[in-house]
Amino acid sequence: MKRRTVLLSVAMFVLGAAALLGCRQGKQPPLMEPKSDIAVDSAFSQAESSQLGTLEIRANGEDFVRRGLVSKDGWRIKFEHVYVNLSDIKAYQADPPFDPFAGGDIQAVGAVHLNQSLTVDLALGDEEAAPILVGQLAAQPGRYNALTWKMLPADRGPTAGSVLTLVGLAERAERAIRFTIKVNQPYTYACGDFVGDQRKGILKPGGNADLEVTFHFDHLFGNGELPADDPVNTDALGFDPLAVLADDGRLQGDLGMLKEGLSVSHYLLLESALSGLAHVGEGHCKEGEALP
Amino acid sequence: MRGKLLSPLIFLSILSAQSGAIAHGVRITHQVAPALEIQARYDNGENMANAQVAVYAPNDPLEPWLTGTTDAAGRFVFIPDRALDGNWEIQVRQAGHGNIVSVSPEAMFATSDTINLSDLLVGTSPGLDSDTKYTPPQMVLMGASGVWGFVGTALFFIRRRG
Repeated sequence: MKRRTVLLSVAMFVLGAAALLGCRQGKQPPLMEPKSDIAVDSAFSQAESSQLGTLEIRANGEDFVRRGLVSKDGWRIKFEHVYVNLSDIKAYQADPPFDPFAGGDIQAVGAVHLNQSLTVDLALGDEEAAPILVGQLAAQPGRYNALTWKMLPADRGPTAGSVLTLVGLAERAERAIRFTIKVNQPYTYACGDFVGDQRKGILKPGGNADLEVTFHFDHLFGNGELPADDPVNTDALGFDPLAVLADDGRLQGDLGMLKEGLSVSHYLLLESALSGLAHVGEGHCKEGEALP
Repeated sequence: MRGKLLSPLIFLSILSAQSGAIAHGVRITHQVAPALEIQARYDNGENMANAQVAVYAPNDPLEPWLTGTTDAAGRFVFIPDRALDGNWEIQVRQAGHGNIVSVSPEAMFATSDTINLSDLLVGTSPGLDSDTKYTPPQMVLMGASGVWGFVGTALFFIRRRG
């Protein structure tokens, strides 16, 4: 009788749990459909000029650029210049919020457009330097939670023809390599809300807010402070493959030269790293989208 | 036999009598409330364990309404205030990488919506909303299981002592 009672109790619990689990699994929710259609500018209602605030667009190469970094393969890299050419920057009030991973387009109830092309040097300033001001826009108040921009070849100046130019010195043990690497392929990036210590893009009537175009160069060279199997390192090119191409302590080239000199797998890593270079703070962006 | 049947009732009566005033006594009450569960992972599928979480309520997008960390499986659960109307935003960050997700009240308090993101999977927490999650047969079955557990345990000890 005792044994039978215990077994019966256990059986009741097992059956109950199984029944509950079965009911749960039968109600697995479906995935949300991707968004479609784009509405930009036209949906913005005209506000009183006194309501307009100032939205600043800033560019940030982070400490990796201003302070230098140690690559995943032990090269200490210091940058003299990191020129990036930014074009066609648009900030959106997206509703629903845009997530670059979810797919679909930005559904904007309003947007502002920085209609200029500008080359900035991300290496300017010391470790404490504020992100570089790219432009200021008079904007209606609201939540600017999506950002797009293009990187197009500069049409003049020392970086003409390039979207990104890296100038610096890489050192390891007794070896030093001066490098100038020019990226001449255009990119387009679509990003969601800024991710970081502080919220950005929240513009109150008559107030100020900023948004940030952020570049993570550890995606290109890796980070020697992280384990070798960290995704930042496994997905990065590092500097060793570039060092092989240096001649007499100098490396100078563009993507065409690198495509010719690097192995296929290394060039694919380079391409992937350049596509994933742009962020909004710590938030990733989607590259290659046709922008609204 | 009558004594054996009375024993569990007496035991339960003693437990009930504990509700009297006891100095420094601890009272624990409970309620069932709808919760939101965040599942954060990197786009390679790895869970974001011990990642920083900041929850922003609809009425204040600047200051976190709640902060915390994900568990070893990259999960974080919280109970939103239903009185605050609008989207809730949850930011998860770790080692220079992060994402933020916005969850509408419709998705949050519905039973059949999951918002699928690449590295931040968000879904309504299963089994925490008594109003909408459990069907009547499930409630009856749970209740019966609980009661039978007490009865079975009591009978087990009674038989053992006898």
